[in-house]
Amino acid sequence: MTTVDERARELTPPSTPALRLRGISKRYGPVVAADNVDLDVNRGEIHGLLGENGAGKSTLMKILLGLVQRDSGTIMRGDTPVDVHDPQDAVALGIGMVHQHFSLIDALTVWENVILGDTGRIDRAAACRQVEEVSRRYGLPIDPTARVERLSAGERQRVELIKCLRRDPSVLILDEPTSVLTQAESAELFTVLRHVVRAENRAVILISHKLAEITAATDQVTVLRKGKVVFHSATSETTPPELARQMVGRDVSLRAEGAALGMLPVDGPVPSGEPPAEPPPETPAESAAASSDAAPATTGTAPALRLRDLTVVIDGVTVLSDLSLDVAPGEIVGLYGVEGNGQSTLGDLLSGLILPSSGAVELAGRPVELERPGALHRAGLGIIPEDRHSSGVVLDMSVAENLVMKSIGDVSGRGFVSRRKMHAVARRLAAEFNIVAPSLDAPVRSLSGGNQQRVVLARELSAGPGVLVAAQPTHGLDVGAIEDMYRRLRDAASGGVAVLLISTELEEVMALASRIAVICSGRITGVLPAAEATAERLGMLVGGVAA
Amino acid sequence: MTAPSTGAPPGTGRRLLGLLTPRPYGWPTPVATAVGVVVALALSSALITLTGGSPSASVQALFQGSMADWTAWSSTLLYAAPLLLVAVGACVSARSGSFNIGQEGQVLIGALAAAWVGLRLAINGPVLIVIMLLAAALAAGAWAGLSSLMHRLRGVNVVVSTMLMTFVAQQVVAYAVNMPWLLQESRVGNAPVSPQSNPLPPSGLLGSFGEYPGLQINGGLILAVAAAVVIAVAITRTPWGFRLTMLGRNPLAAKHAGVRVNALGGAALAISGALAGLAGAVLLASPVGVNRLQPGMAMNIGWDGLLVALVARNRPLAAMPVALLFGVLRSGGGFLAATGVPSFLVDVVKALLVLAFVAPPVVVALARRRRSGGRTAGARQEAAPVAEEAIA
Ligand SMILES: Nc1ncnc2c1ncn2[C@@H]1O[C@H](COP(=O)(O)OP(=O)(O)OP(=O)(O)O)[C@@H](O)[C@H]1O
Ligand SMILES: [Mg+2]
Repeated sequence: MTTVDERARELTPPSTPALRLRGISKRYGPVVAADNVDLDVNRGEIHGLLGENGAGKSTLMKILLGLVQRDSGTIMRGDTPVDVHDPQDAVALGIGMVHQHFSLIDALTVWENVILGDTGRIDRAAACRQVEEVSRRYGLPIDPTARVERLSAGERQRVELIKCLRRDPSVLILDEPTSVLTQAESAELFTVLRHVVRAENRAVILISHKLAEITAATDQVTVLRKGKVVFHSATSETTPPELARQMVGRDVSLRAEGAALGMLPVDGPVPSGEPPAEPPPETPAESAAASSDAAPATTGTAPALRLRDLTVVIDGVTVLSDLSLDVAPGEIVGLYGVEGNGQSTLGDLLSGLILPSSGAVELAGRPVELERPGALHRAGLGIIPEDRHSSGVVLDMSVAENLVMKSIGDVSGRGFVSRRKMHAVARRLAAEFNIVAPSLDAPVRSLSGGNQQRVVLARELSAGPGVLVAAQPTHGLDVGAIEDMYRRLRDAASGGVAVLLISTELEEVMALASRIAVICSGRITGVLPAAEATAERLGMLVGGVAA
Repeated sequence: MTAPSTGAPPGTGRRLLGLLTPRPYGWPTPVATAVGVVVALALSSALITLTGGSPSASVQALFQGSMADWTAWSSTLLYAAPLLLVAVGACVSARSGSFNIGQEGQVLIGALAAAWVGLRLAINGPVLIVIMLLAAALAAGAWAGLSSLMHRLRGVNVVVSTMLMTFVAQQVVAYAVNMPWLLQESRVGNAPVSPQSNPLPPSGLLGSFGEYPGLQINGGLILAVAAAVVIAVAITRTPWGFRLTMLGRNPLAAKHAGVRVNALGGAALAISGALAGLAGAVLLASPVGVNRLQPGMAMNIGWDGLLVALVARNRPLAAMPVALLFGVLRSGGGFLAATGVPSFLVDVVKALLVLAFVAPPVVVALARRRRSGGRTAGARQEAAPVAEEAIA
């Protein structure tokens, strides 16, 4: 790292602040989203911004962009205060942002999305040329005529970046850009960012919950807690544990959570049956889970979840082919693979959003009539969907309503929804899952990204499912919440729930699962007990090579 | 100035819904509405003056025809009832996210069914009118349900199909009243027969409380108000309404949560059709018309009812005063035409007033969006979907 830094110093003039924030404050009713924040963003540097869910990171960035109006404070460019009242001002100042949740229109093509918002005549050829030019310059390969709905998360990210970069911003803001990316994609992204910073002397602000990324990719790091800057340092002068402590305000045990933070050295199998926080209740299921390390095929009892020869063909493309997988009660099975190999289709299928072309889903030995709406839910399958924004929450309904969405019958009496019962349930869940919201009646839209995730988690985990499918459950969560999430998944399993963990993160799968199935191009290329799973063997399976 | 509060729900078509359903807008909206109404009134008087009329005389006439005495009030209420029924139905379908705009046709189908039942059965006693109302609701509900079926089987856009079905309905009714074996009036001696049905028997008419020249409250109005209250409670307080709102706001999440998306959407469409059909039966059986089925009897009530829902922003209770206002314009408008002001001007005035009520929230929302979010590449509030450019 230092060598790169030194080379950079030679190439670029000494860091000069591209942007300075002084005393920025913003309140939402009782919530202080930004509290007297000072921040210097230097040219030629990547500035990491860390903080728990709801710490105010996104809000601060939106203030910089003129999307949210600050209550007080000044934004300075160099030494001159500037006004950022609307996004046009921000563009004029050369500030561009890639948002936490993508803002592309699925039905449009890449070039159409890129020029969206431009004024004047639309020149398709010129637009495509420009997209290609920017994509070549930064090494962001993309087909300008592709439709966005067909693109993977990584490709969408590229489109967002191209959209920003073609405006030649002097400050580029990325809000949790890697939470939906694979490790390889993240690495590519950081290479691009390096280039943007070093060769072009721009400034980058990078928000992430992954400490490893922050330490590897940034030059400066600032930690926000409850809207306040609590820590600032050159990245080379701090350590991940220090950052974690500053973020949460207490010591974080970095053992199991290390995986979540992406800083666990993956050099061998990780014991899967990590004991839960409490001494485990000795249920038969628990011992089954523990013994499944050695003998994965739990014979005798019917698997809680059985996927049988699932094939899904969409528009002539086979997205899942003959996928079969069993999950026994009390077992955590990890479905690991590179993003875009059919995991999201499987997630959609298990959410009841699409039907398989052939094959069946069995719960506790009984085939589920997938055509019937809500059949999976009624049969006891809970799911934390991957794209929580599109199918997990209704952004314009309240937190309470979102929390009881699937069990509206339980909070109704004599044909009417009881607001009292609804609020009681919501209050309990919000407390249990640490959901920070302006109020229970506030629309989910007004929650921070991570808190929106928690709403979905709370709803699905509290439904007491027999089978729990968790797709990328820790995306967008902060360290503490990841810790909590892992504990909940383990507790669920030790309570006899069959857990299917769909994840693109190797460390996560290794830390939690007792068996790991690898998916590649819509088929399972191998299933390994966690004890036999090594990074290399999994790597080969992920590439489609049977190990 | 919180940007997200003006964000629209996902989906292109849904954006409209987002702008038209209730939301805390703060003070700018009422103020903008007041300004809008003043401007609309000013424009209207200018138009009346330009066409050679006198604004003050027009206002006088409008008032005379709609509110000056009990008789005028009675006639206003006669118009308000079917308008309210149509509007309440429109609220249901709009909340579910599938926009039914074919009420004009559904009104006719309702009237057709009611006339057929009323004339064929011709029973004595109050049971006849009840059967007529039921028949109207069923027929028009099924008629609207066809659009949902077309959507499900062939992916036909609901807005387009409901609208086009209006023209089919007009043809069907025209056919029915031109065919002697169907519903055309019976020939009396050598008198020429018109394309209309026989008058309904007395037992097929909706009675009124109150005696001329006092205030008369027709059964149709009671029906309409009851429908508004029932639907308002159903959509805001029941699990069914909860699912309906969910479906309208995010169909994917609704599906995920186990809502029978197709069935519920179809039901919403059918209910909105059924209420429009009831409006048709009320038009047929109340003293607002001649109690015969006629091709022109819908009188744009279907379209105006949609406007009522639009102004009331899909809130059934808010639709009550709005329907009353539109009733005033209708009954007063007839009077106005009698004083020599061209009758199309009444429609222009109505349109201006609708704009005055509908435009301000949209304008305020757009202005906020412009100020605090929106157009610039990459410069959008997190989580706010960006379908706006697709339309705007
Ligand atoms: N429009 C709004 N109305 C009310 N409160 C809001 C609004 N937007 C944000 N907040 C609140 O401000 C706080 C900070 O939110 P912000 O989105 O900045 O968090 P964040 O640091 O980006 O968190 P995450 O890591 O979860 O994305 C949260 O408590 C959130 O509920
Ligand atoms: Mg955020």
